[in-house]
Amino acid sequence: MKKIWLMAKSTYRRHIRSGTFLILTIGLPALMIIAGAIPFLSTLRGNLPRLGYVDQTEQLSPVSQVRVEGRMVNLTSYENTEAALAALEQGEIDGYLVIPSDYFQGQAPIYYGEEEPGPRVNEAMTDFMRRAMLADQPDWVTERLADPSHVTYVARRSGEEVAEGPGVFVRVATPVVLALVFALVVFTGASQMGSAVVQEKDQRSLEIMITSLSPRELVMGKVLGMTLLTMTQIAIWATGAGIAIGLGLAAAGAQALSIPWETVIWAALLGVPSYFLYTVLASGLGIIAGDRQQARQLSGLLGFVGLSPMYFMGILINNLDSPLALGLTWFPLTSPLIALFRMALSQVPTWQLGVSLAILIASLAASIWFVARIFCVAMLMYGQSLRPRQVWQALRQA
Amino acid sequence: MNSNTALQVEDISKTYAEVQAVDDLSFSVSPGEIFGLLGPNGAGKTTSIRIILDIIKPDQGEIRVLGGPMTETTKSRIGYLPEERGLYEDMTLLDTLLFLGQLKGLSRRTAQERAETYLQEVELWDARNRKIEALSRGMNQKAQFVAATMHEPELIIVDEPFSGLDPVNTRIIKDLLYRMRDRGAAIIMSTHQMHQVEEMCERILLIDRGQQVLYGPLREIRRRFASNAVEVEVRGKLDIVPGVERVTHQDGSYRLLLQEGVQPDEVLKSLVSLPDIGVERFERVEASLDEIFVSVVGREITDEETSL
Repeated sequence: MKKIWLMAKSTYRRHIRSGTFLILTIGLPALMIIAGAIPFLSTLRGNLPRLGYVDQTEQLSPVSQVRVEGRMVNLTSYENTEAALAALEQGEIDGYLVIPSDYFQGQAPIYYGEEEPGPRVNEAMTDFMRRAMLADQPDWVTERLADPSHVTYVARRSGEEVAEGPGVFVRVATPVVLALVFALVVFTGASQMGSAVVQEKDQRSLEIMITSLSPRELVMGKVLGMTLLTMTQIAIWATGAGIAIGLGLAAAGAQALSIPWETVIWAALLGVPSYFLYTVLASGLGIIAGDRQQARQLSGLLGFVGLSPMYFMGILINNLDSPLALGLTWFPLTSPLIALFRMALSQVPTWQLGVSLAILIASLAASIWFVARIFCVAMLMYGQSLRPRQVWQALRQA
Repeated sequence: MNSNTALQVEDISKTYAEVQAVDDLSFSVSPGEIFGLLGPNGAGKTTSIRIILDIIKPDQGEIRVLGGPMTETTKSRIGYLPEERGLYEDMTLLDTLLFLGQLKGLSRRTAQERAETYLQEVELWDARNRKIEALSRGMNQKAQFVAATMHEPELIIVDEPFSGLDPVNTRIIKDLLYRMRDRGAAIIMSTHQMHQVEEMCERILLIDRGQQVLYGPLREIRRRFASNAVEVEVRGKLDIVPGVERVTHQDGSYRLLLQEGVQPDEVLKSLVSLPDIGVERFERVEASLDEIFVSVVGREITDEETSL
């Protein structure tokens, strides 16, 4: 176990310093944070808006205060547009709303301001119109109409409660996002692993390694190192995504999202062994390959199989409990992706996920054994690929 | 098997497709000796080394390393310097040694101490924080030598240990090998530099096309191949000498290749009896390894044959 850990640590430290890793790992979340920060920063600029209005219908009730982001903001009424414009030019207000005389016949109000109205101005104007038209109603009517039908759904089978709005979106989007992240991480990791093994084979490093540790320890150490590297990558990405989402929510004035933890836990339970499986297979393909180009081609083949659920998506969406869906949920190379997609659109029985996990772990153990055997034969074939007959011989020798 | 044997190889064979890489090879190496493994390119030396190290399996035969079959524990008692350099190029020299030392069972602290000691000894201490890719060929060679031996193994296998080294660095590595031998390590040295073998090895195995050609103490082998020539310095000029097949003149002395069955003392008598010739030096010539190689393999070994 100590040698596996030493190999993992060395693999991790070598790759974490590489330029490709740094660009991919730091660059992506940096972009996400910038994307999330832009709307947030724009809301931070200046204080709450100072607004006025001109009622040309002469039928609206006067309003002196409106609610913006939970706080009451003063609103100034002007007799005519000239007075409002003068106040704007003197800097007394940031903008004013003109409600035209034919507003009730369908004409839209017009906003005049130094800048385009932001979310706060829009919120203020909406609240103004509501208060101006409902002045004769009790306050609770005005307040309730701000959020008239916020529904909570209760799933019949599971009894799970989901609040309408962001909650529903998050519930559906979480498995989809996790599946996409999984696909990105797994195929990037598998490709990196394949290339790394080819490189080490070319540099004759494997011949030295194999005189210090067993092929199984070598494969497991390398895979563990690459997995730790990917975990670091995911942690950095998740932090970046968290900050970006947080900034985005803050900008929108939304509440914190509730995470569907069951989905996240199953994604981790299926995703981690699946990642191991892909990297072990990629290392096997890397050692079989004669050069980097061939390794990339073989990794592409692995990716083709891994993404195969996408090709059946049209059929699967219509029947998420079909034998095809079940088969792809249990097939080790497709199980996390298909399980997460099914979880996004329906309830997946826990026993089915459990079977997927068991098959994945068994496949992983078998693939480590298989790849370790192949390593012994193929690592000495510098610049050559391994033929199927030689693969068979390697297994027979074992 | 002799209990005082570090390595015992018995009747190993290995075939690749239709090529017999190793054919029924047997030899042993004892603790405290430097053993030369020689042969032309493609002779099967590297395959034999890989079989010994359990990198590849023989089709038949048995190998006992340090008293038993090869196990993962045994690997930590072996040091291997392959001919092809294979350290991770993106790691620093010190990190590489710490990593490989720990893989061989050293604690981190001991690995650190040994790395410092050995790097200073091979004059690489100042380069400890350089990446392997930034080292010169000679530095890389010394670095790999330290990586292979810093855990002070009982069996050391070095393939072309002096490749890329200048005379000063060759001497440094040679001294380290002698010290390891004196400490009791069994050393197998594979090289095409015959003069290094003549200087350092007590016994040799010469293989060609996977088969044993010569095996035994170097002194005996040289003696066996030494009976057909004498070197003489004389006053006067030598042309034809009775019992001598060929006379060659070089650097003021003559080398006389004796006819089959003719003894040196008979030639000495003939020389003394020759008119106008005064014998100043008469010496039996021991064959060099180069000559032995040519006579048994049928051709000269070349510098290109670096992966013997």
